[in-house]
Amino acid sequence: MSAFTLTRVDAALLCCAAPLLSFLILGLTPALRRTGRIAGYVSIAFAGLSTLYAASLLQGRMFAAASPPDIGQVGWLYAGGKLVASMGVQVDGISASMLVVVTVVALCVQVFSLGYLHDEPPAALGRYYTWHSLFLFSMLGLVVAPNALQLFLCWELVGLASYLLIGFYFKKPSAGQAAVKAFWVTKFADIGLGAGLLVLYVFTGTFDWSPQAVQLLGATGAAWTAGLFFLAVMGKSAQFPLHIWLPDAMEGPTPVSALLHAATMVAAGVYLIVRTYPIFQAAPGVLVFMTFLGAWTALFASIIACSQNDIKKVLAYSTAAQLGYMVSALGAGELWPGYFHLVTHAAFKALLFLGAGALIHAVHSNNLQDMGGLWPKLKISGTAFIIGAMALAGVPGFAGFFSKDAILDVLLERHLFAPWIALLAAAGLTAFYMTRVVMLALFGKPGHHTEHAHESPPSMLAPLVLLAIAALTLGFAGTSLATAAGHEYAFHLSTSGLIASSLALLGIGVGWLAYGKNAFVPGKIPAFAFVQGIVESSAVDRSFAWSYRVVFQGVSGGVAWFDRYIIDGFMNFSAWLTQMAGERLRAAQTGRVVDYLYAVVAGLLLLAAAGFWR
Amino acid sequence: MTGHLLDLCVAAPAFAALLLLFVPGKHLTAVRLISLAGALVHLAAAIAIAVSYNRATGGVQMVSSHAIVPSLGIALTFGVDGWGVPLLLLTATILTVGVFASWGLADRARDFFVLLLVLTSGVAGVFVSLDLFVFFLAYEIAVLPMYLLIAIWGTSNKVAPGGPFKFTWKMLDIGGKEYAAMKLTLMLLIGSALILAAMLAMYVEAGKHSFDLRVLGTIHYSPFLQSAGFIALWLGFGSLAGVWPFHTWSPDGHAAAPTAVSMLHAGVLMKLGAFGVIRIGMVLLPEGARQWAWLVGSVAMINIVYGALSAMSQKDLKYIIAYSSVSHMGVVMLGAATLNINGWNGAIFQMVAHGLMTGLFFALVGLVYGRAHSRWVPGMGGFANAMPIVAVCFTVASLSSLGLPGLAGFVAEFLVFLGAWQAGQPIWALAGLVGAFITAVYVLRTSRTIFWGDGPSHDFHDLTDAHGTEWVALGVLVAALIVLGVWPRLALDFIDVATGDYLPAVAGKTLEALR
Repeated sequence: MSAFTLTRVDAALLCCAAPLLSFLILGLTPALRRTGRIAGYVSIAFAGLSTLYAASLLQGRMFAAASPPDIGQVGWLYAGGKLVASMGVQVDGISASMLVVVTVVALCVQVFSLGYLHDEPPAALGRYYTWHSLFLFSMLGLVVAPNALQLFLCWELVGLASYLLIGFYFKKPSAGQAAVKAFWVTKFADIGLGAGLLVLYVFTGTFDWSPQAVQLLGATGAAWTAGLFFLAVMGKSAQFPLHIWLPDAMEGPTPVSALLHAATMVAAGVYLIVRTYPIFQAAPGVLVFMTFLGAWTALFASIIACSQNDIKKVLAYSTAAQLGYMVSALGAGELWPGYFHLVTHAAFKALLFLGAGALIHAVHSNNLQDMGGLWPKLKISGTAFIIGAMALAGVPGFAGFFSKDAILDVLLERHLFAPWIALLAAAGLTAFYMTRVVMLALFGKPGHHTEHAHESPPSMLAPLVLLAIAALTLGFAGTSLATAAGHEYAFHLSTSGLIASSLALLGIGVGWLAYGKNAFVPGKIPAFAFVQGIVESSAVDRSFAWSYRVVFQGVSGGVAWFDRYIIDGFMNFSAWLTQMAGERLRAAQTGRVVDYLYAVVAGLLLLAAAGFWR
Repeated sequence: MTGHLLDLCVAAPAFAALLLLFVPGKHLTAVRLISLAGALVHLAAAIAIAVSYNRATGGVQMVSSHAIVPSLGIALTFGVDGWGVPLLLLTATILTVGVFASWGLADRARDFFVLLLVLTSGVAGVFVSLDLFVFFLAYEIAVLPMYLLIAIWGTSNKVAPGGPFKFTWKMLDIGGKEYAAMKLTLMLLIGSALILAAMLAMYVEAGKHSFDLRVLGTIHYSPFLQSAGFIALWLGFGSLAGVWPFHTWSPDGHAAAPTAVSMLHAGVLMKLGAFGVIRIGMVLLPEGARQWAWLVGSVAMINIVYGALSAMSQKDLKYIIAYSSVSHMGVVMLGAATLNINGWNGAIFQMVAHGLMTGLFFALVGLVYGRAHSRWVPGMGGFANAMPIVAVCFTVASLSSLGLPGLAGFVAEFLVFLGAWQAGQPIWALAGLVGAFITAVYVLRTSRTIFWGDGPSHDFHDLTDAHGTEWVALGVLVAALIVLGVWPRLALDFIDVATGDYLPAVAGKTLEALR
């Protein structure tokens, strides 16, 4: 091997190092950062470099699917001279393909942002790209993590990037609240990941997910580890009832929602399950729970998405729902369908968010009521958005169709009928609400901003076109992706697939009747109105707010009072007692010799008495 | 040569203080420069010690001894172990940064710096002392100047009277700076009395006419002394470490103290207490430590959760940070109670990490208070627009305190919780994780209230960002937090050596079994 050949480990390291370097350059040179656009170019250049390394890695793994993963590690923590934890990279089919997904979407989003955030002050734009570089580095570190500890570290760092980017408009109170809420909810869930890691280490002496480790865990250890990990997954991947932060996270700039809160970061939870799948497989109880919870989240979030008027909130609930599909599929006991859906979803959901960004950019509003009739003005972005919507709805031939079909198929195969039915229903609802969005935004009565709308600049259109191509073709790449990851997959038209596609077409038809033809008003249908009433009560959100007030503010107020007035009060009381005693006893110091003489005599008598009785 | 490095490290600040006595107080520049020189020599010596310490051989190194009272076996014996190295570096860093942070202090600056420097010599003396008597002496030298520093340069707070002990308010002037200074001193002195008693009992029972820790460590003390002595040392040193319920001097004391004093006190002095519990209490009285580990750990668990909950409902910025110290010192004591390698490594690492973090916090609080003339959090908002560097540094400190990976706090907490679970106490670990979550709730809320949003309002018209010496102070601490978070082995490789030296005897197992 010559000195200039790059091993796959080196390539993976460079892939991660590029955005880190970009972050350090932008972070440490305020002059460069505050130029805004140039900072953007720096960040994009390094993201591009990262993408190239990722692509070369995936290509390499495609031809080496059977070979063991490429692993490079260095010791990070020691105890008594013995290794406790290491850091490094692990390249295999899954991580290589995920690297490509993350870098490509990130690159698209960073380029898109140049146009989308054109009007931001340069300093803010520089800050934006600094956080983007930090995010990309953390996410790539998570993807290549060779053990659960590094995954956890990067997991927390992507959470930080999410917090910073949601709070990008930090002067807006709602953005600040949303950022903090997202951090709180995910941090709460991360108690599970932290505790799960401790269980893993105590049982196995490592943070690995290797078969040997799973064996050491045993049934009990695996159940605990997987269960605790899943709590963190619920937070990160927005599963009921910890999904509440995701809709609020839409306070961030739309490209951020596309990258973090749709395509990559929220998928980290699913990716954690994929990576530690041997542990999950050893915990059947947790798997069953996942199947049902994922299906319930998919159904629940799809229902809510039907009645949202903010285009980004529709997409946010739809993200929670699609993540529910993945979780449910992984719970069914097979890895590939869930992961496949993660990949296709990343492409078409990023496309949808960026497309929504183009619409928002055109009318300066998130509200569907302000849009309408945009199609003639925005032919390219409109087409891209419709392609994304069809992929999400699962129209045959589009990317979402293939992966959704694989998921439903595996559920049916394992006789998990209730989740299967819930996911079918969700598929129909998905088609309905996406048709609704398309009809309200692109067609129909023009809104009051439509007149001034204009097509986006090339920097925004290019990423849209690229992602639209991915959303059209990725479904056909399933077999080769699966092979690279060491799985078997071949498309075949199944019963579930037929039913799901029919339901999708039905959903589109109903949506078109309701919002395209105005044949009926859904709000007037009792069942729909009833569900909408439940949705609008936002019971989940309110119960969290209530527990925050009572449990946290109430208990902490009580503890603080107790500390100040009981514990410290008692300290003060003892000081007071000492001082009072001193003042009282001072009266005994009369200064008269006779009094002292009495005391001396009394003392002598006492001593004599004590001696007598001894 | 290396033998004198320790003498230099300990003596440099005291010598600078001595020099200051001959400088007229009105020559402010000279006062500052001499103080800075003392701090820098101290820092350079600490770095030289770290470089010369041989980790391969481990143990106590660079020993130097000067007999003081030969008849009683008291000697000025210094030596450094793997724990001493990072703790000395921490002390030197905080002192240097503290001098920078008090650069603008003009009111009786000379006296202030004299006390600050003497105190630091005491701290360094504790970390390297191999003689129990000298250890105790240095401990007192470190603790006592605090009274003057708070009573003279401090600020008074308002504490609303209430509760069943309301009648004590008037007589004690609760909330005043003299009250805070007196409370701190008295509570710590009661602790000292317990330490002294245990110390003398050990000396007498050993019967070797020596206070040398290496000699006292070989004695097998009677079960009563092991048990009662350990409790006395735990409570005695623990009062300085903020062990519940003897922590109440800490919020009032830190709130009243001036910036550099809070930095040194929370950053370094509280560590002396925890260090004393481990280095004296546990290492000299191993059976007592094993007997009472459950109690130490359970109280530490209370510290973590109780401190965090108390911090959550504070409105005064200094009280928030002070209560968070109570919570974070619980992590140190929890690690100590595990009696295993990860727990102990984590405990010492947390001393360093928390020292840096809380030093940074108090430096920032000082900056904000100096410009906003208020510490009332609900009244603030939008400060990031006027002071972006301060906002970034505050965020870094917040993130370290909630245990975000990549910053030093995470490594420490993770090791401690790991140790707790390995010690068969999952509840301790879970309480710690919950404490970290509560910390996330209150630090992020505080940071958002102060720095985010539109503003600042017209009440705060002279907010300016950190500049000059302040910038240096903040930069050093932020960099240290990040470097130790990314590559913990810089400190951990030292700490691990000393843990391996002391722990087997305390835990009653071989090092091999402990791994």
